[in-house]
Amino acid sequence: MAPGSAQRSQSARNSRRLTVAGRLGACALLVLASRAAAADQARISALSDVAFGTIASFTSDWVRSQSVCLSAKSPPTNLYRITATGSGAGGSFVLDSGSEKLSYDVQWADSSGQTAGTQLVPNQPLTAQQSSVSSSDPGDCSKGPATTASLIVILRSSALAAASSGTYSGSLTLLVAPE
Amino acid sequence: MGGLMTRSVLLACCAMGASTSSFAATQGSVGATSTGSVSISATVPGRVQISGLTDLNFGTVDPAAAATSTEDVCVWSNTSGKAYQITAAGSGAANAFTLTDGTNTLVYGIQWADSSGQSSGTELTSGTPLGAQVSTATNPTCSSGPTKTASLIVNMSAANLQAAAAGAYTGTLTLVVAPQ
Repeated sequence: MAPGSAQRSQSARNSRRLTVAGRLGACALLVLASRAAAADQARISALSDVAFGTIASFTSDWVRSQSVCLSAKSPPTNLYRITATGSGAGGSFVLDSGSEKLSYDVQWADSSGQTAGTQLVPNQPLTAQQSSVSSSDPGDCSKGPATTASLIVILRSSALAAASSGTYSGSLTLLVAPE
Repeated sequence: MGGLMTRSVLLACCAMGASTSSFAATQGSVGATSTGSVSISATVPGRVQISGLTDLNFGTVDPAAAATSTEDVCVWSNTSGKAYQITAAGSGAANAFTLTDGTNTLVYGIQWADSSGQSSGTELTSGTPLGAQVSTATNPTCSSGPTKTASLIVNMSAANLQAAAAGAYTGTLTLVVAPQ
């Protein structure tokens, strides 16, 4: 066999190996993608209504935080994103008392027991949040930490001072998705 | 996946329904997305604040003519119409608008206007609220927006000055504002 022929033959074998490896890799990726699409799940629960009651002073911010269960199963990191939408115009974080409005801020932390977090923008996802629930059941906080994240709602003193007297209410919708 | 998506949409609809009716927290379900909601409520009570007051010093007054001193103050009200009432009380007997030199009294009058820069206003009677006043203040201390929103006018008529014995008179005036 001529030297050139031997080289071509070796090259062809390598090429076949690469092709085989490439096919295997593609298959593996497909399997992984398929498993991810089927298994990636999230759940938000343990939410409570936020009642500020009567605001006694307008000189400081009023903060209400609650620890919630956020479980996300998106191996290997269990990352999720969260999107908040208020009941104000265009999903804004605004309470109303009929004709009057009162704006508020929303923050999120991916650990429980926090009184400050990352500021959320209405309708814009906050990404790269991580769930600490390691259970195979993504909806179950009873098998791990009971709560895994913090929802913080803030009435700013400036907004309170600018608001008319009255009883304000609204709703906040939180949508989570695995990443 | 389609079923999960449909459930998520339904949950979102439920959440919106809750926000306009029962206002109770809703919990999300396990899925490719999960939606929960909370209601938020707060009561902002009616509040007012008066600030920017300074002492009034007439100095030496010629009894031949009336004397008037005015000052602009900040009154803030957070009622929907920014309305308030104001009640004045002097330091004289039964809260009369009188000054004293320790022995004698000097009667003065009070007027109020719900805009700044005024040299006359509505005459106040001690202990009697003047209502339907409206503030233009945008925060409790007028630190932004209009810096002054009302006028306090204190006057001594020539007749009262002439009725008073010569002397140095002092007293205090208390102003109480309330939301309306």
